[in-house]
Amino acid sequence: MRGFIKTLFGDQRTLSVVGLSILVAVVVLHSPAELAAGLALPVSLLAGAAYLARH
Amino acid sequence: MIASLIATFLAALVEWVEAYTIILAVALSIGWRRALAAAGGALLVLAVLTGAGSFILTRINDLYILQLVVGILLTLFGVRWLGKAVARGAGLKQLHDEDAEFAALRARSDIHDRRAAWFIAFNGTLLEGLEVWLIVVALGVQMHHTLAAAGAALLALGVVAAAGVLLRKPLARVPENVIKFTVGAAMLSFGSFWVLEALGYHWPLGDATLPALFIFYSAGGLALVRFYAVAIGDVKVI
Repeated sequence: MRGFIKTLFGDQRTLSVVGLSILVAVVVLHSPAELAAGLALPVSLLAGAAYLARH
Repeated sequence: MIASLIATFLAALVEWVEAYTIILAVALSIGWRRALAAAGGALLVLAVLTGAGSFILTRINDLYILQLVVGILLTLFGVRWLGKAVARGAGLKQLHDEDAEFAALRARSDIHDRRAAWFIAFNGTLLEGLEVWLIVVALGVQMHHTLAAAGAALLALGVVAAAGVLLRKPLARVPENVIKFTVGAAMLSFGSFWVLEALGYHWPLGDATLPALFIFYSAGGLALVRFYAVAIGDVKVI
């Protein structure tokens, strides 16, 4: 069961990276610079991948 | 659709190669018939899960909620695979070695016990197959081609099975990290595209954004590999 859940959602770090990235995208999307959300999410996720690679 | 099927095929190829290593190690202890029966049982569970997963997701009538759920699942998967591939490509982690995995499995004391070995083959195939299941269901439902996605995964299974029958040894020469890197970037592209769209964002280029996102994640990933490799003084290619 643990393997099942980890496969579906990853570990805590992965969940935090994706959660924070989506949060950043939502904040940008509801700001005057909403067009930049299309850049904010990919950049945040790539930064998250960099963090996951190191940890 | 073609891109999603290629990504499904490649992801499945990597996972079935890993599952084959487990089945081969078990087969040498308890025989091919029992090992294949265990793997077959796991594949049956995965087939049931595919049907159930597709059924549950297609019950979601709101397109935006479906996009958000599928997008988050693919993003979780993609960021994990890209991060792992970057770490291995840069030398932060060891590359996955099928020969070493096989040797470690053969050295396990419980692999000679018939029941324990059966469970190792069943559990190993199931866990490796779960990632395939996730991609088949998520991409299949979102693109309305679950059967085609399942077909791509089965084609990969056939390729690995044929190679296994021919070689009868771990398939160590499959470029696992390159495939994980590519699939990770592809899954992140699909995932982030659908997550933002579900949140109400209108991509300026529409569907043409997907290849642009793939190039962004691939180029960014390669830059990260280079950056980390230089940082630890171990410049390599993925």
